[in-house]
Amino acid sequence: MNIQKTVKGTALTISISGRIDTTTAPALEQELKSSLDGCTELTFDFAEVAYISSAGLRVLLSAQKTMNKQGSMKLKNANSSIMDIFEVTGFTEILTIE
Amino acid sequence: MIKKFGLTFGGLQQKILNLVLVFILAIMAVVVAVSVYLSNTLTKVVDKSSEDQKSAITRISGETMSKILDSTMTQTTSMQAFIADNIFSEVRGNVMGLKEYAEYLYTHPDEYQDKPVYDPKPENDGKTSVQLQHEAAVNPADDPHLGLAANMSELMLAMYENSKVLNSCFIATVDGNIIFVDDRAGANFDADGKLQTFEVRQRPWYTGAKDTGDLYFTGIELDAFTNIPGLVCSAPVYADGKLVAVVGADIFLYQISEFINNSAKDNGFECIVNQNGEIIFSPQKEGTFKASLSDQATDLRSGENKELGELITKSLQESTGIKTVTVDNKTYYLCGEPMKTVSWAVITAVDKELTDQPTKALINSFETINTQAQDDYHNSAGKSQQTILVMTVIILVLASVVALIVAGKIVKPVECMTKRIDEISGTDLAFELDDSYHTGDEIEVLAQAFATLSKRTINYIDQITRITAEKERIGAELSLATKIQADMLPNLFPAFPERPEFDIYATMTPAKEVGGDFYDFFLIDNNHLGLVMADVSGKGVPAALFMMMSKILVNNYAQMGGSPARVLELTNAQICKNNDEEMFVTVWFGVLDITSGIVTAANAGHEFPILRKADGSFELFKDKHGFVIGGMDGMKYRDYQFKLEKGGTLFLYTDGVAEATNSQNQLFGTDRMLAALNTDPQAPPKVLLENMKKAVDEFVGDAPQFDDLTMLSVKLL
Repeated sequence: MNIQKTVKGTALTISISGRIDTTTAPALEQELKSSLDGCTELTFDFAEVAYISSAGLRVLLSAQKTMNKQGSMKLKNANSSIMDIFEVTGFTEILTIE
Repeated sequence: MIKKFGLTFGGLQQKILNLVLVFILAIMAVVVAVSVYLSNTLTKVVDKSSEDQKSAITRISGETMSKILDSTMTQTTSMQAFIADNIFSEVRGNVMGLKEYAEYLYTHPDEYQDKPVYDPKPENDGKTSVQLQHEAAVNPADDPHLGLAANMSELMLAMYENSKVLNSCFIATVDGNIIFVDDRAGANFDADGKLQTFEVRQRPWYTGAKDTGDLYFTGIELDAFTNIPGLVCSAPVYADGKLVAVVGADIFLYQISEFINNSAKDNGFECIVNQNGEIIFSPQKEGTFKASLSDQATDLRSGENKELGELITKSLQESTGIKTVTVDNKTYYLCGEPMKTVSWAVITAVDKELTDQPTKALINSFETINTQAQDDYHNSAGKSQQTILVMTVIILVLASVVALIVAGKIVKPVECMTKRIDEISGTDLAFELDDSYHTGDEIEVLAQAFATLSKRTINYIDQITRITAEKERIGAELSLATKIQADMLPNLFPAFPERPEFDIYATMTPAKEVGGDFYDFFLIDNNHLGLVMADVSGKGVPAALFMMMSKILVNNYAQMGGSPARVLELTNAQICKNNDEEMFVTVWFGVLDITSGIVTAANAGHEFPILRKADGSFELFKDKHGFVIGGMDGMKYRDYQFKLEKGGTLFLYTDGVAEATNSQNQLFGTDRMLAALNTDPQAPPKVLLENMKKAVDEFVGDAPQFDDLTMLSVKLL
C-alpha cells in the first residue's frame, strides 16, 4: 500500500494505492492521526485501491468520526469491487461517496 | 598456520622470531664484516711491520757487523802482520847473525882453530846436537873449511836454544857439507839405521841464496829427511867476494801455524802470501786459500780471480782495508797487510756467511718469534673468528629461545583469547578479562573489546531470552485463547442429533492464533434456530475480545426473543457505549423457523448469504444491508424474510472465504465460491464445507492466508 498526501490549505487529499488490509491498515491509521489536525476537508482518492478489508473499513470509520467533528470527508473513484464492499458492509450509508 | 611441537609456524610467534633473527643476523653480519676487515688489516700491518723489522734488522745488523769487522779485522790483520813479520824478522835476524859470524870466520880463519864435527848419532835423537851431513858424493874429510865452519857450532847451538821458532840452523859449505843444529838426529837414519845423505847444494835455499846473493826465503818445501813442509831462510856467505858458504834456519810450518792459528778466530782465518803472490801459510786444507809447496803454488795476483789478485797485489804494498771478495763461491771479508821484513803479506779472511750469522741468527730468532707471534696472532684471530662463530650461534640460539618466549608471551593472550572465543557457545558466553590480558597493548584493547562484546552479547541474549519467553508466554496464552475461542463456538457435531429436521455444520479456521470471525447457532425455542455469522474488524487478541463480547451480546439479545433487527440494534447500542477503539463487527443474524423454513434475518454489513432451493443450485441472496455494528450509535436495521425449502441449503460465510487471495493477488470471489458449492450441491453441510475449504486451499496455493475462513451451512431435511 502507498499513501500520497496533497494539502491545499485545510483541504487534504489522500491518494491510496494497493491493498488496505490487516497488515497495511495500521500505517494508514497512523498517517491519518498525524495529518488530520486542522484539516476541514478530507478527500480519499480510491482510484488505485484494489481491496479493503474490515481493518481498512475501521480506519475509514474512524476518520469519518473525526471529520464529523471538524469538517467534512468524502471518498471518490472507488472501483466496483470496493463499492460492493462498501454496500455489503453498509458503509455507503455513513460515507459520502462520489 | 601450522602447529607443531607446541610452536606455531606462520603465526605471530614465528613472525616475531623472524624479525629478531633478521635483526641479529644483520648485526652479526656487520660485526663479522668489521672484525674480518680489522683482522685482515691487522694481519697486513703485522706482516708488513714484520718485513720492515726484518729488513731493518738485516740492515742495522749488517752495518754494525761491518763496522765492527772493519775496525777489528783491520786491527787484527795489522797485528797479525806485525806478529808474523816479527817471527820472520827474528829468523832473518838470526840468519843475518849467522851470515855475519860466518863471513867473519871465513875472512879471519887464522883467528880460529879447526873444530871437529861429527855425523849424527841416533842416540842423540831428541837432544839438541851439532851434526854433520854431506852430499853422497862428498867426503867431508876433503873439505878444507869444514873445521873452520865448525866454529859456528856454539853460535848455532845458542841460537837454536834461544829461539822458539827455529827448527834448525845450519851452515853449508860450497863443497857439499853441512853442519846443523837440531834435536832430530834420528831423522838422518833410514829404516835400516843407515845414515842418509842429501844433495846439499841442490836444495832451494842453497840455490836461492847463491843465485840472489842475498837473504832468501824459500817457498814451502818438504824437509830433506822428515818431509815435513816448512820453509827456510838462507843467506850466502862471501869471503873476498867469493861464495864460501850458505847459512840458514829452518822454520816448520806447523810452528808458524801454531803461532798464527792461536790468533785465528772461529769465523775466520789468516794466511800469508809471499812476494810471489803465493800462499805459503794457511790453515785451509783445500781451495784457493790452501798453502802449497813452492813447485805447486800459483801466483794469485795473476789468477782467475781478479778481485783477489788486486787485493793481494795491494796487500804486498799497503793496508788494503776490508774488501768483500768471492772466492771458491764463498763470500769473504778480506783484509791484507804487508809484512815489511819479508815483503809478504798477511791476509785475514772472514767468511761473510759466518759474520752474517749473528744477523741471520738474529733474523732467524726474530722470525721465529715473529712467526710464533704471527701464528699466535693467526691462531687467536682464527680462535676469535671461531669465538665469533660460536658466539653467533649461541646468540642466535639464545635470541631464538628468548624471541620464542617473548613471542609466546605476546601470542599467548591472543591464543587464549582465540581458544576462549572458540569455546564460547550455548550458555557459556562469558569472556572474562583475566590478568593474562593485561598486557598494556593492543591485545588488552582487543580483549577489552571482546569482554565488552561478550557482556553485550550476554545482555542481548538475556533480553532475547526474556522476549522469547514473553513471546512464548503470549504464544501459549494465545493458543489457550484460541482454544477458549474455539470452545466458545459450538463445535460438537452433529450439534442437534435429536433434531432430524435439519443438518448443520460450521468451521472456523483463524488466520492468526485468534481470529475475529465467529459463527453461532442456538435454539431460541423448540422451533426457532438462531444463526449468526460475524466478522470483527481487525485481527488477533483485540478482535477476539471484541468477538467474544459481540457473540455474547447477540446471543443474549437473541435469547430475549426480539426480531433480528432489534437484536442487532441492541447489540450495536451496547457495543458503541464503550468502543473507544472504534472497532466494529459485521453480523448476519437470522432466525430459522424449523417447521416452515422461513428465515427472518437482518444484515449489519455482512456478506450476502448463499441459498439453494430444494432442486436448484447455490445462488447469492442479495439482501438489504445495514451498517456494521459498533461503527455508529443508534443505527437502525431492517428485518427481511426468505424461505428455506425442505432439501434446500443455506450457506453463510465471512469475507475470508470470498476474499481469499492467491499469489497473483486474485480474489477467490463469489463466483468461485458458487462453483465450489455447486460441484456437489446436494451434499450435506459438512461435505459442502469441506469442498469449499479444498477449493480455497487449491486456489490460494502457497500464498499466506490473510483472513479467517469461517463457514456455516444448514440444510433442511
